[in-house]
Amino acid sequence: MPCGEYFTSYESRMGLFRWRIQRVALVLGLPIPFLVPLFVGGGTVSLLSQMFIFAIAVLGLNVILGYAGEIVLAQGAFMAIGAYTTAQLLGTGIGLLPAVTVGGLLTAAVAVGFGLPSFRVKGFYIAITTLALQFIAQDWFFPNPQLAWLHGGSQQQFPFDAGLVGGFLPVEGEVAIYVVALVSLLVFALLSLNLSRTGIGRTFRAVHENDLAAAVLGVNVYRNKLLAFAVGGFMIGFSGGLYGYQLGFIDPEFFGLELTLEHYVMLLFGGLGRVWGAVLGVGIVTVLQDSLQGLLQAFQATALTPVLFGIVIIVVLAVEPKGVLAALGQLKEYLRNWPYAY
Amino acid sequence: MVDVAQLFAIVVSGIGLGALYALVAMGFSLIYKVTGVLNFAQGEFALVGAYAVVIIGSGAFLGLPAPVAVAGAVAVGVVLGVVLERVVFRQFIGEPVLSVIIVTLALAGIFRGLVQFALGPNFRGYPAALRPEWSVPLPLGVDLSAAFAIGVALSLLLVVALMAFFRYTVVGSILRAASSDQQAAMVLGVSIERTIVIAWTLSIALTAIGGMLLAMSRGGAAFNIRTVGIIIFAAVVFGGLDSIPGAFLGALVVGVLQEVGTFYFEGGSAVVVPGLGVPANFGPGFGEILPLIFLLVVIVVKPYGLFGTERIERL
Repeated sequence: MPCGEYFTSYESRMGLFRWRIQRVALVLGLPIPFLVPLFVGGGTVSLLSQMFIFAIAVLGLNVILGYAGEIVLAQGAFMAIGAYTTAQLLGTGIGLLPAVTVGGLLTAAVAVGFGLPSFRVKGFYIAITTLALQFIAQDWFFPNPQLAWLHGGSQQQFPFDAGLVGGFLPVEGEVAIYVVALVSLLVFALLSLNLSRTGIGRTFRAVHENDLAAAVLGVNVYRNKLLAFAVGGFMIGFSGGLYGYQLGFIDPEFFGLELTLEHYVMLLFGGLGRVWGAVLGVGIVTVLQDSLQGLLQAFQATALTPVLFGIVIIVVLAVEPKGVLAALGQLKEYLRNWPYAY
Repeated sequence: MVDVAQLFAIVVSGIGLGALYALVAMGFSLIYKVTGVLNFAQGEFALVGAYAVVIIGSGAFLGLPAPVAVAGAVAVGVVLGVVLERVVFRQFIGEPVLSVIIVTLALAGIFRGLVQFALGPNFRGYPAALRPEWSVPLPLGVDLSAAFAIGVALSLLLVVALMAFFRYTVVGSILRAASSDQQAAMVLGVSIERTIVIAWTLSIALTAIGGMLLAMSRGGAAFNIRTVGIIIFAAVVFGGLDSIPGAFLGALVVGVLQEVGTFYFEGGSAVVVPGLGVPANFGPGFGEILPLIFLLVVIVVKPYGLFGTERIERL
């Protein structure tokens, strides 16, 4: 990075890659994740795929919670809607990508439906409606055998060789899923980045900071909240479909309130409202969780996982509410000036 | 056809159940009223109250007599309130409410995990002294079981006591002052730390009692008591989030709805839809879902509930 920040135009200030070193890093760094499966074992590859898939869901949560500032507690239910829709559609043979996309669209529709009360109420009522949705989905809708005509049975197998689109390019094996998840993550990360630095993202932030002031300035608060629900819901549902496909088997148990808590940990740890923070948070928390899981299983204490998550959330919120990325930024700033105070 | 005596029996047990929910719901609206925090850990606090009795009173653990166990559960609630304020909530004074709400979610995870780790998800029976056999006879041959009767009496007493507390005592006025404008109250010499301690202690103690009675009504503590934390949202939203009598009334309505849903819309006892001839069977677990559907309707139709204060916003 050159010393000091010189920008002569707004475009260069807001650019995604502002310095030559960043462009060089992009060209050199982008192939690395695609080459990783050649060098590591199958277990690591599937862990990384899960990481990418969760990162998509956390980015969706970031759009709703980080940008628009609405608490949504139906992460598990949204992912379940995406997963069950995908399972149903894969049976018709339309391919993974269309199935997952339709799953995302359906999730977006449900998210918007449960966001409708925000027309009349302010504050945290959306947290309550989405918690009700989570409970309905997890304890009644998906486990209910009488509704199998709608969701296709509470426990379902996925085909393991569905084509990417139609019957072509079968997504088979860990590496294929890895590549699909990675490309989807890159697309959604780019989408989130662009969302946050364009007018829509600024509008979301304005609504988040002070909805009344935003309304006075001519922002349609209600429409923007619903837009945030739609975009975030789509991403979460999309990720749910991929998650189901990666697992190969779905059960309502996988989409409980614990999943919501886990994604909150990831997002808050990385930093609310920051795309790379969210991705970094997912990475760190997944790796920590994976290594802790072995330790906890050795002591037969897997029940303690939510305890650890809870403690991490409280400590992060108390010590550095902006997340680990902001802490790293402060450290960088300190080291840049060291040994001078400024 | 709907049998009148049966309907009456269901409504009575619904009111009994609602009275138990009312204790937890009042704990919730107390906190919302004073600090503006939506507490998503109510179900877990109820769970702690229910299992505290198991740990203190049942023979497998300490095995102390029943009155000690009950007093102990209340004491656990009080201590928890003080400790949580000291350790957790004090860090978040002046932070956005959003943070504190997420903290309650985290606390829910912590207590759920701890209880599950310490005692496992299995049902734990209460000692015999806490499984009273008596019941209150009512007309039409309907009985109100002991736990429900205690719950009705206790929650009626507590709702009156709490209303009087907020209206007539100095501490109550201080709590109201802190809730209406925290900074102005601080300028007038109100210690915000103290109000938060009092509010959380009262709230968690109430919730622990509610959880304990819920466990008593089922003969012992089970892990699914924590669903009360979700169901009471229907009660408090219907009554108005910041209204304690509203929470009480809402909880009664929700209790009746749940019993009606369990009996008439679930399993073999489901009512037959007139005209169609199909039983209105919505599958297992619908009894607990009906209050949540009611909640969604209330939020759309009458979001500030029966007695809730509508927020007036200024720039």
